Amino acid sequence: MDEEKLIQTLHTYERKVLPVLSKVSILSEVAKESELQEIEAMRGLQWLENKGIVKISEEVKEIADLDVNGKEYLEKGLPERRFLNVVRKDTPLSKVVKDANLAKDEINICLGVLRGKAAISIKKGKELIVSALPQAQKLLEGESLEEIFLRRSFPVSIGDLKEEEKFAFDNLRKRKNILKIETKKIKKAVLTELGKKIISKGIKMEDTYDRLSPKMLKDGSWNDKRFRRYDVKINVPKISGGKKQHYRRFLDDVRTKFLALGFKEMEGPLVETEFWNMDALFMPQFHSARDIHDAYCVKEPKYGEVDKKILEKVKASHEIGKGTISKGWQYKFDVNKSRQLILRTHDTAMSARTLASSDLQVPGKYFQTVRCFRPDVIDASHNVEFYQTGGFVIEEGLTFRHLKGLLRMFAEEFAETDQIKITPAYFPFTEPSAELHAKHPELGWIELAGSGIFRPELVQPLVGREVPVIAWGVGLDRVAMFKMGIKDIRELFSHNLEFLRGSTII
Amino acid sequence: MPTINFSLKDLQNLVGKKLTVEEVSELAEYGKGEFEGYNKEEDEVSIEFGDTNLPYLWSVEGVARLFKGILGLQKGIPKIEINKGGYKVIVDSSVSKIRPYISAFVAKGHKVDDYLIKQMVQLQEKLCESFGRRRLKVAIGVYSYDKIKFPVYYKATNPESIKFVPLEFKKEMTQQEILEEHPKGKEYAWTLEGFKKYPILVDSDDEVLSFPPIINSNFTGKVTEGEEHLFIEATGNDLEANLLAMNIMAQAFYERGFDIYSVDIDYENKKVTTPFLFKDKIKVTNDQIKSLLGLELKNAEVKRLLEKAQYDVTSNVQIPPYRKDILHPYDVVEDIGIMYGYNNIKVQELTSYTIGETYPMVRFRDKVRDLLVGLGFQEVFSPILTNKNVLYDRMNIKDFGTIELENYMSKTYSCLRTWILPILMKFLSKNKHVEYPQKMFEQGLVTVRKGDDVIDYERVAVVSANDKADYTEIRQVLDFILRSLDVDYTVEETDHDSFIPGRVGRVVVRGKKVAYIGEIDPKVLVNHELGVPVVGLELNLSDLFEVAKKERT
Repeated sequence: MDEEKLIQTLHTYERKVLPVLSKVSILSEVAKESELQEIEAMRGLQWLENKGIVKISEEVKEIADLDVNGKEYLEKGLPERRFLNVVRKDTPLSKVVKDANLAKDEINICLGVLRGKAAISIKKGKELIVSALPQAQKLLEGESLEEIFLRRSFPVSIGDLKEEEKFAFDNLRKRKNILKIETKKIKKAVLTELGKKIISKGIKMEDTYDRLSPKMLKDGSWNDKRFRRYDVKINVPKISGGKKQHYRRFLDDVRTKFLALGFKEMEGPLVETEFWNMDALFMPQFHSARDIHDAYCVKEPKYGEVDKKILEKVKASHEIGKGTISKGWQYKFDVNKSRQLILRTHDTAMSARTLASSDLQVPGKYFQTVRCFRPDVIDASHNVEFYQTGGFVIEEGLTFRHLKGLLRMFAEEFAETDQIKITPAYFPFTEPSAELHAKHPELGWIELAGSGIFRPELVQPLVGREVPVIAWGVGLDRVAMFKMGIKDIRELFSHNLEFLRGSTII
Repeated sequence: MPTINFSLKDLQNLVGKKLTVEEVSELAEYGKGEFEGYNKEEDEVSIEFGDTNLPYLWSVEGVARLFKGILGLQKGIPKIEINKGGYKVIVDSSVSKIRPYISAFVAKGHKVDDYLIKQMVQLQEKLCESFGRRRLKVAIGVYSYDKIKFPVYYKATNPESIKFVPLEFKKEMTQQEILEEHPKGKEYAWTLEGFKKYPILVDSDDEVLSFPPIINSNFTGKVTEGEEHLFIEATGNDLEANLLAMNIMAQAFYERGFDIYSVDIDYENKKVTTPFLFKDKIKVTNDQIKSLLGLELKNAEVKRLLEKAQYDVTSNVQIPPYRKDILHPYDVVEDIGIMYGYNNIKVQELTSYTIGETYPMVRFRDKVRDLLVGLGFQEVFSPILTNKNVLYDRMNIKDFGTIELENYMSKTYSCLRTWILPILMKFLSKNKHVEYPQKMFEQGLVTVRKGDDVIDYERVAVVSANDKADYTEIRQVLDFILRSLDVDYTVEETDHDSFIPGRVGRVVVRGKKVAYIGEIDPKVLVNHELGVPVVGLELNLSDLFEVAKKERT
């Protein structure tokens, strides 16, 4: 910014302090000279510093100021002068004390000081007798260094004292309550080269506006004045507004994507029966994934309701593969276990519900993004609550080739890559099962999704016939953490307000 | 999912081919295995196998077998020779209600070293833990053959009647003492819960072999380096799983270089000779391959792929005796696909058009979120699991129907939230040092128990914490939301102990009570160590949505 423009940005405070800087530099003096409050002068100086016009420095100084006695002596004179004023020849000390109206400790000092300066002599008798010596008159006529010092202006920086002042200061500071010494931070401002140039151009107290007011608009007065130029590059204090939570926003984006791709959203209960969570997915009741440690069980009520018809069909499919050419799992299915209530452990529970629903559309594409629960010890990489997205595509004639097509579409849409690898995998409810890996520019191959074709033993009892159903599922927590640069999984559900206010939208 | 460790050199010897670590990693994928790493110093490969129905892969011998098939070094069902041993295990009927089944074999003529013992223990443990359902279904014992005098007896006895020294212990103990004192006893006591007698395996000299499924004896049940002859048995409550476990072990020992000898199991009313090699077969058609994989393959190609996957092919597909995971022809078709190579199967696009849509409720709750963000409220997203102290005690109210968890890991997360306002109060209490005003909301599910019913509701809770927070402020928020949603409402006086008496309202829409609104009671603020007034509301979006819908129709 050129100097002319710079001058136009100057606020009243700045305009007031700037001219006095060629005379004084200490903040208190600057304030006095510019007729501002100290705080106003300081703000003016800070703004000037931001613009490179002044340089503010801070010095730690020992400052001396008059204490109670100091103030009193300034008015009444030092005790030794008052002492000398009343002492003649052979004056008893009690008379001096009375006439000069001095305290006991002041007397002691007077005796010491005056004897040191050979102004009095002391005789000891029944009581002390004091006589003025010739030097006394001389002292009374002149003015001591201490007295001169007391009359100077206070507070004063000890470092700035002249030699005689220093001598008087050293004497006085030893005496009681005359001076008080404090360390103070002194702010000082000096003009920079730019500042000097600006001063040389002359700073006028221009008639500029700081703010545009409704009144000015109404009466047209805005027309004949200039608005003070702002420093638009200035840093401003931060504010916080309303914002969607970072992880929830990510989940919204995932849902929006699926909707755009023609998928219908599914929802289901948090508290689910083992039937829909596992049995309906053809997971045998003795399967290791069904151990008590893998799902949260509900204390009460222990059991939920499952439609008898569908329960019988699923039971027969488990036991003997009824309805398909499967031999089934060949065990005794426990209907009571089916009714047990748990917190849903995976999103696929809702796929089972949708497949069994009378609203199912074939061909159809379905998805869900839901919160699931599994017992675990919580730390930076494990949580007991997590989000999964998953779903299925149901249509006559679908094969593994379509599954690959779907996975490739996901990789393109969600990971923005067409470099994919599909590997064999195991899920209890799909045959074949496959895992989708995508090549990430930095991380290499990363696992994106589990998928497969639902087993006929699963589809037949739910849908009532065998139709190919391609299914997939993705854990979203890790993807979100990666996208948002979050290292601790707990931050997905952060209760740190500063973190939430500071979070970025990606 | 079990992770298997073994020496790369050993694998190469068993396969009969030099393999790089990269090749091992790629080959493992065929077995649904994920290469976890290679420790060069120890020459140790780790692979995690995903398929809990393929326990044969949980040993280096099984992995080598799979690799030989893929590499074309071995076709069809791998060989196993079983010599007639004539050894006997006599099963007493006393075990029939406790742990009815036993299978066994003898392996001779191969010196065991430290590494081999470790491999044996690895396979044994993985089979017992995962596949054997923590020893309930299958538990396996390996013994020093030379110390056993056949026949062996499998029976159930009074827990105090027999004493023996359990493995790695010095003193003799009864079975009861073992369950109470031995670490393995404590770990697996649950498998015998409720039984008055416990199973025991003894030989003809009454020497104890083991206390299945808990622990071997320290005498016969300890295999040491240099031994050449072993006796192996499995007990359990599932015959098929039991036989399969023995087949898997026998096949592994055979491939390791042992001679396998059969054992005759004499049950009270039947005799079985084990290992019992299943001769399962299944019919697989080209149509099934086409409909599942989308591949049109010639018979010869199908045969080649099946043999690579180590099936024998006659008019049917013959399944190897160490597999019991084939329920449906599709299980075999998957193997055909794997051997063909998933990455060689051509992609086909989905072509049918479907319309993407969501629930009206989803759109409704998103509108409310948008309105609150517009009012400058920060959205919060919390765990749904919480505890009753947060929900009730700290809020100065009583439990109104909570879903509690039976098997929570930590009391902090021991129930489902029944309302959201307490969660936001907890949030405020954690952020006392952060600049005020603090305005936030959370929208999400709560779950309430009403008798035997469990009901999920979509709710939204809103709080504002600042020096001047008052009823007017929060009422304005409510008013803005409901007006924007075109909903008429009234507010009635009510009592709610989380709010200041006389400053709490019940919001009613078409006769339905949908929200609480008011100034939070100082008692509640003190419970949360808060130093500023807080106002809040909690609105039931599920109910509001229903009545609002009616209003418009």
